[in-house]
Amino acid sequence: MRELEKTFQVPIGPVHPALKEPIRFTFQVEGERIVGVDIKPGFAHRGIEFMGTKRNLIQVLYLSERICGICSISHPIALTQAVENAAGIEVPPRAQYIRVIVSELERIHSHLLWAGVAAHELGFDTLLHLTWKVREKVMDILEEITGNRVDYAIPIFGGVRRDITPEQYPQVQDMLRYYRGLFEELAERFLRDASVEARTRDVGVLTPEEAEALSAVGPTARASGLRKDVRQDWPYLVYGDLGIKAITPEDYGTETRGDVYDRVIVRLLEVAQSMDIIERCLEDMPAGEITSIPKVPALLAQLKKAEGEGIGRHEAPRGEVIHYIRLEAGKEEPVVWKVKAPTYSNLMSWVPMFRDQEIADIPIIAASIDPCMCCMDRVHLVRAGRDELVWKEKLLALSREKTKRIQSRVTASGPRVTALSPRSADHGGEA
Amino acid sequence: MKAQHVLAALKEALGDHLRDPEIRTRTVGVKSPQTMEEIWGKIDRDVLLQAAQTLKDLGPLHISIISGADLGEEIELLYHFTVGYGTEGGEVLVTLRFTIPKSDLTVPSLCGIIPGAETTEREKIEFLGVAFQGIPDSRHLFLPEDMEVHPWRKDEPELEKLVRRTVKWEERDA
Repeated sequence: MRELEKTFQVPIGPVHPALKEPIRFTFQVEGERIVGVDIKPGFAHRGIEFMGTKRNLIQVLYLSERICGICSISHPIALTQAVENAAGIEVPPRAQYIRVIVSELERIHSHLLWAGVAAHELGFDTLLHLTWKVREKVMDILEEITGNRVDYAIPIFGGVRRDITPEQYPQVQDMLRYYRGLFEELAERFLRDASVEARTRDVGVLTPEEAEALSAVGPTARASGLRKDVRQDWPYLVYGDLGIKAITPEDYGTETRGDVYDRVIVRLLEVAQSMDIIERCLEDMPAGEITSIPKVPALLAQLKKAEGEGIGRHEAPRGEVIHYIRLEAGKEEPVVWKVKAPTYSNLMSWVPMFRDQEIADIPIIAASIDPCMCCMDRVHLVRAGRDELVWKEKLLALSREKTKRIQSRVTASGPRVTALSPRSADHGGEA
Repeated sequence: MKAQHVLAALKEALGDHLRDPEIRTRTVGVKSPQTMEEIWGKIDRDVLLQAAQTLKDLGPLHISIISGADLGEEIELLYHFTVGYGTEGGEVLVTLRFTIPKSDLTVPSLCGIIPGAETTEREKIEFLGVAFQGIPDSRHLFLPEDMEVHPWRKDEPELEKLVRRTVKWEERDA
């Protein structure tokens, strides 16, 4: 009798309804059990570091903000620090506080966004709608303070671009009251709900040893019990004054298991922690200048003269962001710019998390590290079993061809709706 | 953990292989300012594993990233490590760098000491053409497998042509 093959390959992605951004997982499964996974990122790689070395530093700052839409202040926070270290630019105290406040507002919105996505991946859409409804409050405050819901354009080399005005303080305090009033309810829905617990307890486990060996970062590392948080370990801006402590599930009073449930605990507690930080900052923030070099041409001139290298780091909602920059006198553009986003460090954590799990848990485990594929350009095709590169020109030509094809089919087939006017005339006088 | 302590351990382990070590400082904080220290130094590629092991013996070791640059005849690699996370202000940032000639771009892989270095090493393979000895998986990561140019190299005639072609095409379409 022919021996049956035991292990099968299940590809998920690069584009798949269970994923929010493109990435390809190739799972090895035996029945419902996952025995191995191969991960291939890069489907959204845009070559941003390469582009950065062709542009002046202020343009690079705007580019860095567009690396990621969700944590769109994290990259500018790290980049401005790297450049300020390299060029010896001071940041006024008030500007440091404003950077921290906006970063923590971002953490609140990002963690709530994640909690909604996690609820959705569990099939609990009521909870998704509740979480995203309450997330709107912090989005309103971000819009009020920065002018935008995403891409806030707040940090600039030497300070920030907008102040927080006295009229805005009560609005922020009102937001803090709103979330504090809701916190118990959110904790009840996420942490004391039997179905959430059943789907997340002991699912997608990452042990502390694995998290350490794989250099995991952010809530992914902390949920495995590592007290690793750039704000605590390597103080920058005013975080050193605030006495930040990395949060692990033990702070909730439970034993650390490193599963998806623990990742929910850590993120929810961090929302509360961010609220405390914002409140402290509003109280402590001194009056004064918000930037040390207000005129952009003067700033550009000073940056052009700068020579040196620097590192900037930031604890983004998903973990450590690091930027390395090297400047040469006489050049407006950086000579070297290296960016690392948190998902880059957490990518390998997926391998142990997926081991021995069930196919049905793939979406929630994949979502549990809060992945953000802020990676690169180029389109990558697999045709007849082999990889093939397709550049932008070809893609555009293909998409135009497809549109023409669809158009000709649409005009050819049957009657089309030309107007949406009510047919009241046919019913004579009823109106 | 203190930077002096880390530097002393590196000096003892690497001897003459650690060149121009320096401690760079920066002041952070407004209400209670504190001075933070970073270690920067040059090493020989032959002692990279020894350096990483020395750092690992001191405390929890994290690799943030490996940066790289094409210097013309040589490729420079910068390893950004941190040692001692988990305590307030106790993490020391250590950047160790070395250059390698383009005629011999092999570097020992760190994966035996820090398995988490694999992602960043694979990125250096595809972007700079560096070869890592002992890396468990050397396939391309972010770029397609059949992409032969290394985008961060400055001696890639094909890359130059590609950029020119794309820029010209973008202008036409604008």
